[in-house]
Amino acid sequence: MLEISDLSKRYGSVVALDGATFTVRPGRLVGFLGPNGAGKTTTMRCVFGLARPDRGSITWQGQPISRPHRLRFGYMPEQRGLYPRMKVADQLSYFAQQHGLSARAASEATARWLDGLGLGDRAGAKLEALSHGNQQRVQLGAALVHDPELLVLDEPFSGLDPLGIDTMSAILRERAAAGVGVVFSSHQLDLVEDLCEDVVIINRGRIAAAGPIGDLRAASTKRHLEVEVAGNANAWLASRPDLTTVEQRGDFARLLVPVDLDLGAVLAAATSAGEVRRFTFQPPTLSELFMEVVRS
Amino acid sequence: MSRGRAIWLVARRELLERGRSRAFLLSLIVSVAIILAGLFLPSIIGSSPGAQRLGVIGTPPAGVIEAIEATATSAGLTLVVEPVADLATAEDRLRDDSLAAVLAVPPDGSTPALIVRSEPNPLLQQVVAAAFTTPPQISFRELEPADPNRDTSFIFANVGVILLFISIFTFGTWVLTGVVEEKQSRVVEVVLATIEARDLLIGKVLGIGLLGLAQLVLMVGVGLTAGVLAGRFSLPPTTAFAVVNLLVWFVLGYAFYSTALGVLGALASRMEEASNASSPVSFIAMGAYFFSLIVALNDPAGVAARIATFIPPVSPMVVPLRAALGAIEPWEFGLSVILMCVAIWVLFVVGGRVYSGAVLQTGGRMKLRDAWRASGGGSGRGG
Repeated sequence: MLEISDLSKRYGSVVALDGATFTVRPGRLVGFLGPNGAGKTTTMRCVFGLARPDRGSITWQGQPISRPHRLRFGYMPEQRGLYPRMKVADQLSYFAQQHGLSARAASEATARWLDGLGLGDRAGAKLEALSHGNQQRVQLGAALVHDPELLVLDEPFSGLDPLGIDTMSAILRERAAAGVGVVFSSHQLDLVEDLCEDVVIINRGRIAAAGPIGDLRAASTKRHLEVEVAGNANAWLASRPDLTTVEQRGDFARLLVPVDLDLGAVLAAATSAGEVRRFTFQPPTLSELFMEVVRS
Repeated sequence: MSRGRAIWLVARRELLERGRSRAFLLSLIVSVAIILAGLFLPSIIGSSPGAQRLGVIGTPPAGVIEAIEATATSAGLTLVVEPVADLATAEDRLRDDSLAAVLAVPPDGSTPALIVRSEPNPLLQQVVAAAFTTPPQISFRELEPADPNRDTSFIFANVGVILLFISIFTFGTWVLTGVVEEKQSRVVEVVLATIEARDLLIGKVLGIGLLGLAQLVLMVGVGLTAGVLAGRFSLPPTTAFAVVNLLVWFVLGYAFYSTALGVLGALASRMEEASNASSPVSFIAMGAYFFSLIVALNDPAGVAARIATFIPPVSPMVVPLRAALGAIEPWEFGLSVILMCVAIWVLFVVGGRVYSGAVLQTGGRMKLRDAWRASGGGSGRGG
């Protein structure tokens, strides 16, 4: 388990991290969300010793993190980069060996992962000869080739086409199922909601929300209420000026309401206005939750 | 995994990737070609059948000049014979190379002499000697008897400094561009997730240095073998020392300059900035090189050369030169090696810290001071 606690880091007058605290458990997929400049990349760099926190600690299995631990992690930085003129297989084998694999184990793992990533026939090609999408796959391969116990991926989905997103999602799910803790940052919130069990939302260097997505949604004090009354053109809403309308379209209305709203009273008002075709009461989606948390 | 293995993996990657590269093969071919050209071109040009001017003092016995000219023609030697007034004039003209040899025939009928400046042309010598088969025969004299070992030492010193400079600078520049390439391609962030920045620099310097050493050994081997085979020189007993001397100072000089260049490379963010960032070091290296060839070669035991022996950036070129000429005291040699090692160590400690602070920074060229402050565990901005 990766535990990050009270992580703080300043660059001059800019506060990058301000007491960030969260955990990544084995076998869990964690979406690491936040606006640009919130501290996601700095946090990840701190995990790999690429940035030194001013305060706070990072532990792995209860021990302060050090180089031997990091060799069992896989990292995909935000700024992608590999050796352009090095052959794909040599490159993966090199990174596998730098993570402590023997030469033979490294070449076996390289062959296995290149096949798994659909790059088996490009093993002898120089990286720069590959398409952008295939270079991305090699980059993922470099993070995975040594079978890490923890995967830290900075924006792994950025720049991928729908097929690439599908492949990446499948690999992350499969790794998590194999017991690997996976944490990745992303701005594609629907994708994260679809893929992850847990999310961590960071804003201005602080953790604004963290936990299983279901729990976070349920814990929200807001609900979305969608109502459709046939032929009424939302005239019934005039009787409830206390409700916040998010969206109106024809007979359809979407309202943002408190969790303890008296639903019976609202339903009664709608029913008295006409035939109620839709009446749903739902916790906010991850996107809505994100906006709510980040704007507050 | 140990630090040593991590460093070795970096070094091995450099060895394999660069050793297989066209740039290295080209560098090998060109350097061997330069060595061979340097050895053979003069002897090819020198043996071309140009006209040899023979001066004559006094009156040789009748028929001698005709005999010399006939033998020369049949031997394919173009010979111009001209009278010379006296011995002083003859010596002057020998020294300024306007005469190849002078045949001096004393008026008292004693043994005539063939005088040359140094190292007579063997063909000319035979041609002249052939005309004096009956007594009085001929004696030979050299104005400046050649010391073959001294000349060979001079060649070794001269060529050695050139080889050192080319090798140190070529492979030092590879370290510079290697560092910038890693930074520019951003692969350095992936690499540094597993290895300390300092170890990456050490591995890179080590790997490229082994290639440089291999190339230097090849050049020296080819040069010595070809030189002996071509009869350009015979190996003096000090050859082994001169070679070891050259290799030792390559290792020391390369370690110093490549580290400095690698550290400065980390301050640049793109290849275009690299030469700019490295210009102070290039300037010092050029200065040391020309000092060695111009000042130290002419007066290897002089005050300037002795002082330069103890200045680490200059000593890698001055000390091997002085040693090759036999113009250095053992204590001077020992102290200069120690000073050089200390300088390399200091550079590694200071430079390693600057490198660590700078290599992860992106966006524009970095100042030395900022890199120093930013280091000690990595740095870098990010969202």
